[in-house]
Amino acid sequence: MSGELEGLLVILSLNTIYAYGVFLAATSGQLNLGAAGFVTLGAYASAYFTNGFDGFGFSLALGIPIAVIIVGILAFLVSFPILRTRGVYMVLATYALAEVVAGVIINTEAVGGAAGMPVDIFVPYYFVVASAVLVSLICFYLMSTRFGLAMRSIHDDENVAILFGVNARMVRVWAFTLGAIILAFGGALYGHHYSYIETQSFNVLLSIYILLYVLLGGTQTAWGPIVGALFFTFVPELFRFLGGVTGERWIEEGRFVAFGLLIVLVMVFRPEGVITRTMVEKVFSRKSREQEAAE
Amino acid sequence: MNIFLQQVVNGLMLGGLYVMVAVAFTLIVGMLNFLNFTIPALFMLAAVMTWAAMAGGFGGGVDDVIVAVLGADNRWIAGAIIAVVVVTLASLVIERFTYRYTKTKYGDATEHALPLVSSLGFLIFFEHLVISIWGSDALTVESPFVHASFYISSIQFSVPQTISLGLSLIIVFLLSFMLQKTKLGRALRSIAEKPDTAMLMGIDVGKIVPIVYVIAGLLCAIAGILFTLNYTIVDAYVGDRVATIAIAGMVLGGLGNVWGAILGGLLIGLLEVLSIYFLGASTVKISIWGLLLLVLIIRPTGLFGHTSIGKGKF
Amino acid sequence: MSKSALTITGLSKSFGGLEVIDNVSFKVPKGSKMALIGPNGAGKTTVFNLLTGVYPIDSGTIELDGVDITHIPARHRITKGLSRSFQNIRLMPHLSAIENVMLGQHSRARSLLHQLFPLGLLPRNRWAAQARRALNDAGLTEYPGQIVADLPYGIQKRIEIVRAIVSEPSVLLLDEPAAGLNEAETEDLLILLRKVSAQGVSILVVEHDMNFVRNLCDNVVVLNFGRKIFDGTPDQVHLDPDVREAFLGSDQDEPVASDQAPVQGDSNVT
Repeated sequence: MSGELEGLLVILSLNTIYAYGVFLAATSGQLNLGAAGFVTLGAYASAYFTNGFDGFGFSLALGIPIAVIIVGILAFLVSFPILRTRGVYMVLATYALAEVVAGVIINTEAVGGAAGMPVDIFVPYYFVVASAVLVSLICFYLMSTRFGLAMRSIHDDENVAILFGVNARMVRVWAFTLGAIILAFGGALYGHHYSYIETQSFNVLLSIYILLYVLLGGTQTAWGPIVGALFFTFVPELFRFLGGVTGERWIEEGRFVAFGLLIVLVMVFRPEGVITRTMVEKVFSRKSREQEAAE
Repeated sequence: MNIFLQQVVNGLMLGGLYVMVAVAFTLIVGMLNFLNFTIPALFMLAAVMTWAAMAGGFGGGVDDVIVAVLGADNRWIAGAIIAVVVVTLASLVIERFTYRYTKTKYGDATEHALPLVSSLGFLIFFEHLVISIWGSDALTVESPFVHASFYISSIQFSVPQTISLGLSLIIVFLLSFMLQKTKLGRALRSIAEKPDTAMLMGIDVGKIVPIVYVIAGLLCAIAGILFTLNYTIVDAYVGDRVATIAIAGMVLGGLGNVWGAILGGLLIGLLEVLSIYFLGASTVKISIWGLLLLVLIIRPTGLFGHTSIGKGKF
Repeated sequence: MSKSALTITGLSKSFGGLEVIDNVSFKVPKGSKMALIGPNGAGKTTVFNLLTGVYPIDSGTIELDGVDITHIPARHRITKGLSRSFQNIRLMPHLSAIENVMLGQHSRARSLLHQLFPLGLLPRNRWAAQARRALNDAGLTEYPGQIVADLPYGIQKRIEIVRAIVSEPSVLLLDEPAAGLNEAETEDLLILLRKVSAQGVSILVVEHDMNFVRNLCDNVVVLNFGRKIFDGTPDQVHLDPDVREAFLGSDQDEPVASDQAPVQGDSNVT
């Protein structure tokens, strides 16, 4: 497999994982504009553990899960106060949280501060791709459970969901926490594949991009994040290819210009995102009707 | 003590710019109930337009015209005019594609976020548009004003910054006066409180909302122009850095409250400069956003805000 | 004396100084079908909101099957056996009919194992089967997979009722279940509710359609301005002078009229 294709697959895989991290919160009606914070934490924590400190290091198989779980615990604790906020306030709170994380890391010399840090153990591309597949499967599974039903009910009408016995608060906490764990996992994979991390790799723009392409893909079904990640990874690549050919900075940057424009247009014409529940239903019920007709 | 006071003064000067952007944010949150993330983009556009006029960023032909008409030292005037025009046009386009679509079909949680999401789309659009033309590196310029300063008991006041602070405060006071005392202001406030009733009372919401966008845009434009003139270094991401801090100021003052935005903007400017001075430049993120996080969790309405604004809406 | 499924004693509620419910007391006997009627603004939906815990009460007690639920949080009341439908349709618009009904089962499936069971991946599971059966019983056979936002009003209304029924409540609160239904649909609804009642569920309906009330209910409670003014049988209600006065001169026809267009009920919704 060519190096360039490998590189693209890694980017697509990471984007997909990030997408699912934000998707879980979004499908229960919460917008997380601070995804980069958890990605950063996952990257740094896992690198810290696998690089080793004071002569004691974890293996990959231990270091990443431990780091990711620790971030999960942090997210769980932090989610209680943050999820008391709503709407505008929650968006701002998640944004602020990510900035605080970045700020703390910049000031922590043990992880290289603003200069960043190298990551010793390398994770090959197929591992990243396999992880993305695993995360997708887990999210499809979650959405098919009562927990998934509860999440989507809260998204549509939280008050009524509560009257039917849903513990809205805990569902949102868990959606947020699981999302953070997935984001942290993505960060860990990033660090161990690219072998170097710095807070600039995970800045505000990353948070914005992830949220946007998750909403672009659609938050009603587990298909949405994949579509969003595909859009974000490959449509820009088309522009980059053109840019490489003509050599103009304009066309290289044009991919983001187009992305921004696309977001605006999608919000106008198809605000629920590309993939909606209705669409999935139509596709699958047509299949099952064809199957029945064939029998 | 003098050093401390000097930092306080510097902080207030910076705060003066934040004030205008914070008021722009709070106007839109208060009136239209959503967080308009294009405001950092508009600020950036104005700053960059001003720079471009002063530093020949528009390319040979345009630059020559400007110099011919105004003289090399006054190119900033052209920059200011272009900035205002560009921002006004942008505001109208943005209004067309964001607020119009807040009529939600089902009223569920993420549908309320549509205007916010659109505004993020515009933010990316404008930032990368600028990068495509001028690149992402810092853009510097020689401002004709930077060096003038005066002293009050050994504390230095930069003339352009003092003028900026004064200008900011005057404009915002005028705005506040307009909101309280004029017919337009009353119409705006009634839209903020009860949009449906406002329509029944004959207020043409469709005409007034663009006005709000333009006012907010102009505030950002003036802030952006003054920023370039005072601090002389801008880039495509200056909006992200500067204007988002103004958001923190707005929240501190209370969403939807203009006086709160004034106070919040000044306080945040103060906090930023004092953090840098006493704790080091790298701690700014922690101080400002940590404070914002605390405010949002403990007292989300800030110093003066209403509880109804922002609840459940984006 | 039959046991009471729902006992409301001295229920009172004020909103900002305005007394909306004033010392309301009545009993819903076990297995019975009772109507809660009254002119617009009488407080009927508010009573439902107080019973289900949407608003906290100022004073009074609520007893469900002998258990005091007055201070139990809203989301636990359904597990105690209190379920409801809404005056304005409150289905989850982005979920399918069967998924909406399955939300109704949530209170009986709260264990972790149930929460994590992949219902969507194994379509023949018993919960989906039960939900589909419930929809069939209500005559809604064609719609299980369809997203409810696209369905007609009458269908949505009945799906909401099915959702309330599958939680297997001991008391079912229905807020204007017949509003907007045509004659055939209303007849189907009556059959469904009689079936449900035969299984031992006690029913309390808010309604304006007096024909419907007379066909379904054994007892009627009348509210006016937040106070109970009548408690008796459907035959007696139109004879009561207080009731006549309450309905006279208002936009409502008197309880005697049999052909009622559904009228906008109380403005207090969840």
